[in-house]
Amino acid sequence: MNASRPPHGNFINYLLALVAIFSLNFILPRMMPGDPLHAIYGDEALVAMTPQMEAYLTEKFALNQPWSSQFTAYASGLLQGDLGYSYYYKDQVSTVIMGALPWTLLLAGLALIIATILGTALGIESGYRRGRPLDRGLIASLMFLSGFPDFFVGILLLLIFGVCLGVAPLSGATTPYSGATGLAYALDVAHHLILPLSALVLVQLGGIYLLTRNTMVSVLKERFIMTARAKGCSDSRIRYEHAGRNSLLPVVTATGMRLPQIITGALFIEIVFSYPGVGSLLSSSLDARDYPLIQGILLLVTVAVLTANLGVDLLYRRLDPRVRYAH
Amino acid sequence: MHTNPLMDVLRDPLGKAGIILLAAITLMAVFAPFLSDYSPNQYTGEIFSRPSAEHPLGTDSVGQDIWSRLLWGARTSLAVGAAVALISTICSIFIGATSAIFGGLYDRFWMRIVDAMLAIPAIIVMILVAAYLRPDLLILVLLLSAFSWPPGARILRAQTLSLKERMHVSAAATFGAGWSHILKRHIIPDLSPIIVAVMIADCRRAIFMEAGLSFLGVSDPTMVSWGKIMHQSLQFTYLDVWQWWLVPAGIALSLTLVGLSLIGFSLESAMDPRLASRPRKEIGGGSDA
Repeated sequence: MNASRPPHGNFINYLLALVAIFSLNFILPRMMPGDPLHAIYGDEALVAMTPQMEAYLTEKFALNQPWSSQFTAYASGLLQGDLGYSYYYKDQVSTVIMGALPWTLLLAGLALIIATILGTALGIESGYRRGRPLDRGLIASLMFLSGFPDFFVGILLLLIFGVCLGVAPLSGATTPYSGATGLAYALDVAHHLILPLSALVLVQLGGIYLLTRNTMVSVLKERFIMTARAKGCSDSRIRYEHAGRNSLLPVVTATGMRLPQIITGALFIEIVFSYPGVGSLLSSSLDARDYPLIQGILLLVTVAVLTANLGVDLLYRRLDPRVRYAH
Repeated sequence: MHTNPLMDVLRDPLGKAGIILLAAITLMAVFAPFLSDYSPNQYTGEIFSRPSAEHPLGTDSVGQDIWSRLLWGARTSLAVGAAVALISTICSIFIGATSAIFGGLYDRFWMRIVDAMLAIPAIIVMILVAAYLRPDLLILVLLLSAFSWPPGARILRAQTLSLKERMHVSAAATFGAGWSHILKRHIIPDLSPIIVAVMIADCRRAIFMEAGLSFLGVSDPTMVSWGKIMHQSLQFTYLDVWQWWLVPAGIALSLTLVGLSLIGFSLESAMDPRLASRPRKEIGGGSDA
């Protein structure tokens, strides 16, 4: 359903969402049966923990005090950027995540850009040729493709190009110990990136394409298109500058809604390709039950999605003057 | 209403393809015990055996028959999808429609919650909760339902708002009908194509999320699920086994999701008034460069 979100992206919704996530992060481990320290740090971590350390941590999380002071301790820790300590990686959670983040941003960012450009272009061409073979073919094939779960598209690409044909690397983001620098390094990164990136783009393409196509179909019925035609504008001009440009607005709004999908899609695809980003980190933290790291990653992803959504809302106001006047 | 969108789906080739796909998977799930001689968790005596008459898809790393795990996986997926679609759509109808009917503070309260929940990426919260709870099937269904009602509630509220202004609803109100009667007799019947669309979207999302969570390895370990099959088999891509272990599970999951998307897409196109007119008659659609 193309029910585009109402553009009044008021801060309160985002604030509420943020508070909900923080509270969930706070409540979940404390709701678990047994010692909250066990739930916060996981059973595996406590095996290696000394009584002094346990006392220190109990003090730090204010676990021997009422809930209100526990929450104050939790909130003040977060405000100082303290996400806790990952016993599995033996480092601060924030440091561990920051090490993996650039790879995820590279993957998700490029996928967003490529899928948006490709999806809009295909949507414009397809909507312009509504009902013709190209349009029908594109709809059927992209609908089919976007129905696939992102991690399975990744697995298929990995199996076809990595395992069977052997033309792409099976895992990682760079060739280990290659010592390559400069251009050789960039090419190596691109070589490792191409499969995960294609998987993410292939899955995301369908939604963007379909939205542009349907908007295009309705924009082409507007009077100003007829005027443009009567003036003798060329077909390509009408297609891109008159109709295509007006089909962009819903795409921008939908980008905000698409961001969570792209980011979570990137997380899953990283796991398939053992790409050293936040997704692989999440996978290994889930396997090791490294709860502070799991919480830190999910908190970071949520904050990223909320911030990006807010940004899209603000951008939308600039793009569409009608929204600005309406407020 | 001159058209019935639900009937249009049956005529649309994409919709038909979706229904056939879904029907095939449903048959697999229903007749699972008759299609395989093994129970999904039974140890068959050999590990990593290649496909044979005995085991159509061979056996996996712990000696379970892959074909029967695939069949039982269909049961899990469809059960999760259907249950979540039902529970979450009932919540969506109730909250969306009553918000539209009552309006005021009640409406603002629910829409605020819907907006806040739409802003949070549901799969992320699900992963977090599942990591702690390791949910079994029932808890998983309840969790998924708790996170999938908001989009449907927003859509159904918008539709109810416009239905509320129709003559027959005002007439019923004038005759003294209460809100629950109006909801049951006048609003919900008119909403039915949209309710079906919401259910399909909820069902699809639930199946996808269950598979995703199992693929991450955070669901109940005793559950037989396509996502879990993929999680287990992904570690063995260096052997030939992926051909009959990893790929069939992925294809089964994908075809189920594609089937649901096709039905949903076809239904939405049938309902979208912007796409309703015949292609030949519109301005600008005729000529080509």
